[in-house]
Amino acid sequence: MSQQETAWCPGCGNFSILNTFEEAVKKAGIDRRNLVLVSGIGQAAKFPHYTEANLFNGLHGRALPAATGIKIANHTLNVVITSGDGDMYGEGGNHLLHAMRRNIGVKAFVHNNQVYGLTKGQASPTSEWGFHTKLQPEGVINAPMNPLAMGIIHDISLVARAYVGDREHLREMMVEFLSHEGGFALLDILQPCVSFNKLNTYQWYSERVQPIGSDHDPCDRQAALELAGQWEDTIPTGIIYRSEREPFESLLPALKEAPDGLCEKS
Amino acid sequence: MDINVRIAGEAGQGIETAGEVLAQALADAGLYVFAAKSYMSRIRGGLNWYDIRISDQALFSGKENSDILLSLTAEGIKTLQGKAGSQAVVIADKATAENSSGCNCLDISGTAKTAGGSKIMANMVAAGVVFGMLPYDIEALSQQIRQAFDSKGEEMVKKNLKCAESGAELTKGLSDKLLFPQSGGADSFLCSGTEAVGMGALSAGVKFASAYPMTPATGVITYLAKHAREYGIVVEQAEDEIAAVNMVCGATFAGACALTATSGGGFALMAEGLSLSGMMELPVFIVLSQRPGPATGLPTRTAQQDLRFAVHGGHGEFPRAIFAPGTPEEAFKLTRKALATAHTFQSPAILMMDQFLADYVTNTAPLNTAYRPIDKQITTSPGEDYRRYKITENGVSPRAVPGGDALVKADSDEHDAEGHITENLSIRIEQHDKRMRKEKGIIEDSIAPMRYGPQDAQELIINWGSSYGPCREAVDTLNERGHGIAMLHFAQVWPLKTEEIKKAIQGDAPSWPELTCVEGNSTAQFAGLLKEQGIIDSRKPLLKYNGMPFTGIEIAEAIESD
Ligand SMILES: Cc1ncc(C[n+]2csc(CCOP(=O)(O)OP(=O)(O)O)c2C)c(N)n1
Ligand code: SF4
Ligand SMILES: [Mg+2]
Repeated sequence: MSQQETAWCPGCGNFSILNTFEEAVKKAGIDRRNLVLVSGIGQAAKFPHYTEANLFNGLHGRALPAATGIKIANHTLNVVITSGDGDMYGEGGNHLLHAMRRNIGVKAFVHNNQVYGLTKGQASPTSEWGFHTKLQPEGVINAPMNPLAMGIIHDISLVARAYVGDREHLREMMVEFLSHEGGFALLDILQPCVSFNKLNTYQWYSERVQPIGSDHDPCDRQAALELAGQWEDTIPTGIIYRSEREPFESLLPALKEAPDGLCEKS
Repeated sequence: MDINVRIAGEAGQGIETAGEVLAQALADAGLYVFAAKSYMSRIRGGLNWYDIRISDQALFSGKENSDILLSLTAEGIKTLQGKAGSQAVVIADKATAENSSGCNCLDISGTAKTAGGSKIMANMVAAGVVFGMLPYDIEALSQQIRQAFDSKGEEMVKKNLKCAESGAELTKGLSDKLLFPQSGGADSFLCSGTEAVGMGALSAGVKFASAYPMTPATGVITYLAKHAREYGIVVEQAEDEIAAVNMVCGATFAGACALTATSGGGFALMAEGLSLSGMMELPVFIVLSQRPGPATGLPTRTAQQDLRFAVHGGHGEFPRAIFAPGTPEEAFKLTRKALATAHTFQSPAILMMDQFLADYVTNTAPLNTAYRPIDKQITTSPGEDYRRYKITENGVSPRAVPGGDALVKADSDEHDAEGHITENLSIRIEQHDKRMRKEKGIIEDSIAPMRYGPQDAQELIINWGSSYGPCREAVDTLNERGHGIAMLHFAQVWPLKTEEIKKAIQGDAPSWPELTCVEGNSTAQFAGLLKEQGIIDSRKPLLKYNGMPFTGIEIAEAIESD
């Protein structure tokens, strides 16, 4: 773990993500010199500073294009995004859509607290209907975004959800993602924000979160969509969808001829 | 001695193809050509034309009036006949022409039908008509037609050849009164600014390019895509310009040599990413090909309106280098120079073109396109306690890339030497000053303005970028008429080497020369920068912002009549 002092509130779900991540990196046997953590801006996006890896803490909303550039330049790197819901689904929403179309081989851990933490509590694209904030005093009137369904529809390599309150399961998911070698992999991590989200609390999530049963076939698109649509009473966690689609970078002729990447040092 | 040939028609009639075939055929015949297209932002209809100025001496500019005007539409005759010289030969297609005076009606589309089987081939009949009027061996045209249609099969080649030959036969006696330049020793290689930038980038080792299409910058990225296999590079059409520049930031962070290309509107979307490259100290290279704004403006026309935007674009303060080539040849060299500068100083570099320079073609001495990658100056031995943003005297810190022994950390927040986010205000000052110190090196490494004309001139034209050619022609014209005038061409417009530039302006003139600043904008942006930097005081602006490029003749006339 790094020497950097965290800027997170006591009790924040981000701590569990960080601790679990450290365990998962060890368990998956990841060489940190080959690991690049990419983020945008937000509380979650500070994550890369608190561990040891290469890091690219870029602009708000732009983690995906930066990660795409890094992966294309050197596809031997393990490129992992750790950023917030506002960053990845709001400001970066267009990039999310097109990263899915590309099926670029990066993994995204989205710390989904259903709120904008860093800017002190405005609605995010995943905030609930009616969620009250100082900026939405009448409550949210826009439908919450469903990034997991988007991933399934665009046939990305891996779609999953985890919850910080179930660390063992979260670790299992992270290990799978860190070791994943295919195309775009999206892990939506439910992460309570104790300061600005008084609706989706630890208790609220704990009452609803339920690991997906072993009878689910992640290659079954319809079943996956069904699961991705569940939110009200039960919120399924685990691998929701898996595709055999080839990653973007494997379809680039230049990369086939440059097994070490495009970055010869001169 | 030169003549200007103009062929016109509507979009979809193949005017550009005919123009390109003619231009190359003439260059192959040893003539100097300066060929430029003028087109509207549409795929069908409207009025487009293609100018080919032909000479026995090197050409640097187009000309407003034509000596031969051929139009396939009535609209072309109506709009352009007024811009044909008094001795000009005007040719209309019989099928569309109204009986206007001074106009020769030839059966161009009819000939296309009989010789080629379709009136679509009227453009090749037109090419034949033009060539038939010129005193050069028509084999040069046939060669070009064979090449141009080779991929479409023997049948198409034959039909188009027949069209051109039949066209040439229609012209007996038409051009008897015109004088023509001798064919001679011109380089047959025709090059545009767009191709030159593409070649420069490939030769310099660019391995990744990402862009969103926008006229007149699209050609650069298309050129790279066409040669991607050959050079082993990846070209990606981004979802928007924000993604394009951020991908380039990511790719350069990882160690690839990369670029993006756009026009003003896309550059506006890149502003935050440009600032990121300043903060992260990434060698990002942006080709900024201008067109008239504001907003969507005139998409297919030319302008030099984004200089201030390039100099000041992006929030915060950070060093950058901005280049503005004057010819395709210079565009090639400066693409390499801009990439080298970006890597040496780990700072963004911008190459400014415009529709005029991007699109015109002229004879160019062969470019050294051999693969000679620039030195990316990446350290391979970062050492134990590597820190990406180590404080150094010249502001440049050793640059490592991920995947090696050291962890590489880059942050868009203010950061410490290691690359970690910080809100420590003294570290902020240290890092900011470190970044800004690099500007001194960029200035020392910058390109001095180039003088053309007498050293002791009392009259001086100041130009930047694409107006180099027209200004140069104006200098020659004026000096032939007894002026003592010179010009200073700025191929690098930022940052400015103040004292050297003052000396360059002074030259050997007995007193401070009278200055005319030629710019394709309405507010004399570059003159304003020079003034701000304390380099010049008073100057006469010679400005044009109607979307059309300067011509040498109009600059000479404006200065003469002043
Ligand atoms: C271009 C730009 N717009 C707005 C901001 C301000 N901003 C920073 S983080 C953020 C939202 C963060 O929300 P989220 O990604 O969910 O992160 P969290 O703090 O909740 O972890 C906003 C709006 C910014 N930094 N840059
Ligand atoms: S604001 Fe919310 S998300 Fe941010 S650190 Fe505090 S609790 Fe965590
Ligand atoms: Mg959030």
